[in-house]
Amino acid sequence: MPAFAARRHSPSSDPTSETRVAVTPRKNRLRSDPDAAIASPLRKSPRLCKEGSPNSSPKIEVIRKCLKSSLNLSGSPEKKQLSEDFVERQTWDPREETQLRAVNEALHLSTAPPNVVCRENEQNRILDFCKKCVKEEKAGSLYVCGCPGTGKTLSMEKVKVMLVDWANKEGVQPPDVLSINCTTLANMSEIFSKILGQTHSGKKPSPSTSSLQQLQKLYSQHTPGMKMILVVADELDYLITKDRAVLHDLFMLTTMPFSRCILLGVANAIDLADRFIPKLQSLNCKPMVITFCAYSKDQIINILQERLKALPYTVFQPQALELCARKVAAASGDMRKALAVCRSAIEMLIGESMLSSVDGTDDQQKPAANNMTSNQVRIHHVAAALSKVYKSPVIDTIISLPQHQQIILCSAVKLFREGKKGTTLGELNKYYVDVCKSTMIPPVGILELSSMCRVLDDQGILKLGQSREDKLRRVTLNVDGADIVFALQGVRFFRNCLK
Amino acid sequence: MGVENPAEVAKFIIRSRIADPLFVYSYFSQLPDSNYSKLKYIISSSVTEACNNSVLLLGPRGCGKTAVLELVLEDLLKEHPDMISVVKLNGLLHSDNNCALKEIARQVCMEHQLQFSKMASFDENSKFLLSILRECGLAHKTIVFVLEEFDLFTEGKQRLLYSLLDAMQSVLSQAVVVGVSCRLDADQLLEKRVRSRFSHRKLLFLSSPGEDFHRLAEHILLLPTDSRLPNDFRASFNEKLLNILAGEEFKRVVDQLCYSDSTVSHLLRFLFCAVCHMDLSSGSLSIKNFKSALPSIQRQPKQEALKDCSILQLHLLVCMKRLEVKEVELCNFNSIMKEYKRIRDSFETVDYYARNICLRAFEHLLQRGLVSFQDSRGQGQSAEFRPVKLLISWHELQQGLQSFPSCPTILHKLMAREG
Repeated sequence: MPAFAARRHSPSSDPTSETRVAVTPRKNRLRSDPDAAIASPLRKSPRLCKEGSPNSSPKIEVIRKCLKSSLNLSGSPEKKQLSEDFVERQTWDPREETQLRAVNEALHLSTAPPNVVCRENEQNRILDFCKKCVKEEKAGSLYVCGCPGTGKTLSMEKVKVMLVDWANKEGVQPPDVLSINCTTLANMSEIFSKILGQTHSGKKPSPSTSSLQQLQKLYSQHTPGMKMILVVADELDYLITKDRAVLHDLFMLTTMPFSRCILLGVANAIDLADRFIPKLQSLNCKPMVITFCAYSKDQIINILQERLKALPYTVFQPQALELCARKVAAASGDMRKALAVCRSAIEMLIGESMLSSVDGTDDQQKPAANNMTSNQVRIHHVAAALSKVYKSPVIDTIISLPQHQQIILCSAVKLFREGKKGTTLGELNKYYVDVCKSTMIPPVGILELSSMCRVLDDQGILKLGQSREDKLRRVTLNVDGADIVFALQGVRFFRNCLK
Repeated sequence: MGVENPAEVAKFIIRSRIADPLFVYSYFSQLPDSNYSKLKYIISSSVTEACNNSVLLLGPRGCGKTAVLELVLEDLLKEHPDMISVVKLNGLLHSDNNCALKEIARQVCMEHQLQFSKMASFDENSKFLLSILRECGLAHKTIVFVLEEFDLFTEGKQRLLYSLLDAMQSVLSQAVVVGVSCRLDADQLLEKRVRSRFSHRKLLFLSSPGEDFHRLAEHILLLPTDSRLPNDFRASFNEKLLNILAGEEFKRVVDQLCYSDSTVSHLLRFLFCAVCHMDLSSGSLSIKNFKSALPSIQRQPKQEALKDCSILQLHLLVCMKRLEVKEVELCNFNSIMKEYKRIRDSFETVDYYARNICLRAFEHLLQRGLVSFQDSRGQGQSAEFRPVKLLISWHELQQGLQSFPSCPTILHKLMAREG
């Protein structure tokens, strides 16, 4: 099973995991040297804990301080190693600051996890491709695609490191690595000057020939001993122009006879290669395409568990984690969203515990209540966090709109029920006056009506067109009529009106 | 001297309070579950835990989003001096990527007293942004990016948003991005990769009048104990005020005020007007002040214009309305005169006025803005032949006629018949 297998690998890749973990610094230290391997004792994997004495490890001290029930502490590291689920772990106190910080760090987007789970297959494929290119000293191109939040950039970082390590181990000359994010390019052809700058730092691009031409000249003649260069181009679709010249030239660079460039392009569109560079197909040098599929429910659960594994206490109930994974996998399969939902759920838990302490419940009175489950994130926290993320604020806003604006929306819904898609402000005014008359509320004049419609347009509920005359401006609904009916159903007048 | 002075001082105190948004919104900071406390928790936890965050503030215009944000930032600057630096961008000015980067560089340079060069290129500015994020991360300083009119940043390729949100994904930077927008679907306007990097935290500023307004009014209008007013004056002022605020009439006034607009800024304008109407001789606010403030907030400019019309002008307006109801295609002064003549012939009670007097009355109507020419062509023609349109609706005209003193009944009959 993937989770177990990853744990077995962790001692062998210890130095890398330590360095990776050390990049996330402790809060009270200045981050003056992010690349040094600072041994942060708080982040040791459970296996390592076993070697050291459990009583002296600072992590155990923290747990001991906040535990109110008596558990067998010396037996816990072994138990952690054997059990792969949350069965025998200790509980945590959400009010304890260091613990909270550790949990938030484990779930934060910027923390790169030490092991990238669920993407080993894709990573191995990319790595094999790069190894082949480096060994044979041939150029090649690869295209990585997938929805946002599926681990593409993370995998690329890992592949870069692994490739350099492998090259050093094999004794092959490691390639130069150049990572470009195409959104930072001021203009498209800058990418070529960057590549040129990387390969030949001595040469300056002469004014008569562009960097692209120089590169083409360079790659069309045999230069012995030139290093391979690995170019990782992120967000490749920013390079798409109308005539698709830049993208085409970039991929063509790898097809030149003496090219030394391995190109890894990353983007969201699956068919970028087919749609935008069809000529490559005819030249029989289409890039290899690796698709990063959206995460499934099991994969999301795995990744979250992997992140939370380093903590000695259970934060989430397993059902809560599963609910989060199911919902996110069904919606988009985006890992970032899952992490955001988890963090939001923790905040709900904290808010709840703060409110309960504000209500005056004494800590001494309920030591027994601080059992396993009361401090974990439960399903209703995750459900509340999910609704906050996925619910649109439209319904709440409509409910809290002032009365006249609600009447305007009601008359708009009635008007558009008859099949029309848009109307003018004058027509809307007539309907509005009718609705007002049926309830004895004095209607406001057209000027104020038009300013209220403008307020609704600002908020994105209506859409107002432009016209010379106020009365002739086109009005369309920007939200679903059913949403408005649902939001207004609490008021009897609107219920009757919209029946 | 005696009673005038405390009342003037009281008026001054209250007016200066209403005009100070920080004071007004400090009321909201005392509520436990308000947006103020949520926003403060988000930003302060990012500062103390050194993690990156992004949040979106949504709500209609005038409901206090920027004011609450300012309040939170001010409080946090007091609590953690030197750990926060703020960069403010506005979507109306800086939606272009180059412009925005230049502005960020300028603000950061100004704050840290670095040299800013106007000639820096786009590349240099973006490198500067990344390096400043890194340096501030190393120095434990959080940069708060405030993006007002967030929905205007989402036009075009959204490069700025992408680079800011992407920079926040790295461990080395420590930043909070706060977007302020009045569009409810502002996060749907983001591209999918920008939306994926955004943390989906949304704070909704809903304006709920009634309860809240009562307490807000008390917070603003009750005189403080540390002012230099005499104690008995202050006590009697506050007592009378509490009586008014608890009364039924005040509730009715507030309900009517909130029918069309219930945002906080609208209510503040109403309070300011009411305080300005305060009678200095009586020395306290009365319900009359609130009632007289209501029409000055909910002005009807067309009604005010109608009030000053002469009877002849009212006749002309009613004739125009009849023509409109009959859907006559060409409505100009000549056709109005024909209709006027027809009415004169059918109802003998209508007075007779010469044509040039009618023309002068008509020109006054044009100047007052109750009628206007249909289009701006034909400037050379005289006012008699150019087509005109009414700028006042049937309902407003009827209301104006009803409130007009000494309006001839014939006009009511004419209006009622067609309506």
